[in-house]
Amino acid sequence: MANMATQSIMVVGGGMSGLSAALEAAEAGYQVYLVEKNPYLGGRVAQLRQYFPKLCPPYCGLEINFRRIKTNPSIQFFTMAEVEKISGVVGDYDVSIKLSPRYVNENCTCCGKCGEACTMEIDNPFNYGMDKIKAAYLPHDMAFPMRYVIDPSLAGNAGEMEKVKAACAYDAIDAGEQAKTLEIKVGAIVWATGWQPYDATKLTSYGFREYPNVITNVMMERLAATNGPTHGAIVRPSDGKAPETVAFIQCAGSRDENHLPFCSGICCLASMKHARYVREQYPNAKVYIFYIDIRATDRLEDFYVTTKEDENIIFFKGKVAQIFQDDATNNLTLRVENTMTGKIHEIPVDLAVLATGMQPNTSVSPIPTTVAYDDYGFVASSGKLGICAAGCARSPLAVSESVQDGTSAALKAIQAVARR
Amino acid sequence: MSVRVDPDLMKDLKAFGLQDANMCYNCGNCTGTCPLSTSDNAFPRKFVRYAQLGMKDKILTSPEPWLCYYCGDCSVKCPRGAEPGETMMALRRYLTANYDWTGFARKFYTSEKFEIMAIAAVAIFVGLGLLLFHGKPNWEHAALNSVWPSEYVEMADLGMAGILSFLLLSNAARCFKLIMGDLASKVPFSMYMSEAKELVIHLLTQKRFGKCTDRMQWFVHLMIMTGYASVFLMVVVLINGLYLDRVGIEGIKFQRDWPEYPIWNPIRLIGYYSTFAIMYGTTYAIIGRLKKSKPVYKYSHPTDWMFLILLQLTTMTGIFIHFTRLLDWPFPTYAIYVIHMMVAIPMLVLEVPFAKWAHLAYRPLVIYLVRVKEKYALSLATAEETSMEQAQPEVEIAS
Repeated sequence: MANMATQSIMVVGGGMSGLSAALEAAEAGYQVYLVEKNPYLGGRVAQLRQYFPKLCPPYCGLEINFRRIKTNPSIQFFTMAEVEKISGVVGDYDVSIKLSPRYVNENCTCCGKCGEACTMEIDNPFNYGMDKIKAAYLPHDMAFPMRYVIDPSLAGNAGEMEKVKAACAYDAIDAGEQAKTLEIKVGAIVWATGWQPYDATKLTSYGFREYPNVITNVMMERLAATNGPTHGAIVRPSDGKAPETVAFIQCAGSRDENHLPFCSGICCLASMKHARYVREQYPNAKVYIFYIDIRATDRLEDFYVTTKEDENIIFFKGKVAQIFQDDATNNLTLRVENTMTGKIHEIPVDLAVLATGMQPNTSVSPIPTTVAYDDYGFVASSGKLGICAAGCARSPLAVSESVQDGTSAALKAIQAVARR
Repeated sequence: MSVRVDPDLMKDLKAFGLQDANMCYNCGNCTGTCPLSTSDNAFPRKFVRYAQLGMKDKILTSPEPWLCYYCGDCSVKCPRGAEPGETMMALRRYLTANYDWTGFARKFYTSEKFEIMAIAAVAIFVGLGLLLFHGKPNWEHAALNSVWPSEYVEMADLGMAGILSFLLLSNAARCFKLIMGDLASKVPFSMYMSEAKELVIHLLTQKRFGKCTDRMQWFVHLMIMTGYASVFLMVVVLINGLYLDRVGIEGIKFQRDWPEYPIWNPIRLIGYYSTFAIMYGTTYAIIGRLKKSKPVYKYSHPTDWMFLILLQLTTMTGIFIHFTRLLDWPFPTYAIYVIHMMVAIPMLVLEVPFAKWAHLAYRPLVIYLVRVKEKYALSLATAEETSMEQAQPEVEIAS
């Protein structure tokens, strides 16, 4: 057998597919390093209210995975960590990992005193900037690892930092922490850096950011979540009022050669799920789903059929072309052709949700070594031996598919090192 | 009702400049984007669909292609690059060919070779005519009337205008029949008359064009149109200063002998305006088409180029004649005059009834007919309402 150093596997990205890949490989007996950019694991799944196929709260699944990590000595994970350099060949990669300072050490008990003492606020990244949090914060209620984080803006403010440090009774704040670089040797790499919602400000006809009541699907998920900015109340950002009419605009920037030319495959079902959130909360609310084609594959067809049974959810065939805002009320009007009848409609709504698609993170920050990508920036399936992609870095996938994809990537990684 | 489908329609439309209509997945984004599209007359998606499905009859009887002025917003926003704006343009060419009963327009649009040959043939015919039939040239002064007296030119003008009007009006009548269908005779004559001002307003102002987001195109179009209309007035109506006893009114005669009108004479000023307006408009369009600067200029059908080239050549030779007359150079004046006529006449004879110029009749006519149809539908609805109201009272009392 070859030396042990090259038998280890690095998984980049601690979301659903990365977690799955790391656990499957570790439980098969391989040493695994899991590298996550955020201060917590769980990725975008942690930000969901419910997820497919069973509409369970995401923490059900995530907590099982976190327990598997805690009890498995073969996994070592790093948060606030980014891979900076990869060199070498399969079986013998040298990797540099940059560890950003958290300024909070393992003494932290999450008592929250630092947050109380802190007066500085930042946009809450977990809620897509829909609310503010203290600059000394817990990323979210169920964060793993359960430990506070100090934003760099606070760390750079010595006076404020002094106050925050004084509030901590456990000596958990390390104001002088510096960024570190970690060098490791691995035999195979699973790249699972996932996706980001397509930038809706590029959809100029829809007025996102300009009109407060135009939001995106990921924001809707946070609005509906009990640990979200409104504690689960789906309300208009402009005035906090309950919407009477909500529009979902499908293919907002998807299947569009000016934006993302591909179909992300999940947005139709996600909007139907959101429509149900709205209908559960507001028995009289009316929901429109504007679509080009509904893509509900395999057993999810049932979900579509059941959603259609709700008379207050109107499936409207036609892509919304323009959104106008009444500046006095922030009410919106959507201009759209009903392609079944050929008539143009101007439909007033209180809240519009843009069903934006998944842009692969690799299209923005590519893997720091030469790897083939497809036309859209996903890692091409014919990647070289030793580095393979999993989850939404490879293709737009739903959560359950990401789990399967993570498992499959773990096997590929194991094959790559086992051949040595 | 059965629908006849023409499976070769897409292939046929390709010859008229259709681009990527087969890319369209019918999302309707183009229709929702178009500032001119309304619920009753929604376009362009429906027409892309008709083309895809081979629904030729629907296309032939629809007014919508003429309601589009091609700002290109639809093509810019199209998620599929299906060029809906160019589809509407291709349909206008297709309709022009289909309105024409002679079949000449179809050949003109679908064969570049035919187009060039036809223009060359008319040009040679005109050139030979001018060389064969002329008076005794005045070599002292540049006096066009000595070679080709304006009263004869006027007679030829009127003859040509008669033939062109016949062709264009007979084609317009076919357009009328296709658009109105069964309604043609149902709509009372008085309704046609009461809406006639709409026809004139649209002919003169193209005010619908102003609703497009890119208003520059409206301006350029108005320049070419007004420039062209005023010069047409002068060379056809006023060439001999109105027909009066073969002499005409001296002060308004366009083709007059040396010396030229003084610089501030209205006839001369109108001439300068026309020249400037046409040169400005055509140069803008030619540069735009060369650079493909905006969606409307992205694709150029051979007839688009021919139209611009002929119009610009006519104007340029007109400018040369003006200068040679001012310089009082007889030979260059007469020579350029022949060239001028060899460009201008084919342009008029071929473009007006059979090609791009024909839209000067079809577009205002169709906009007017849409208006008439709306009025008629409204009158039917009100008639129904009043009859309902008359029948209502008893029920109301009972309830």
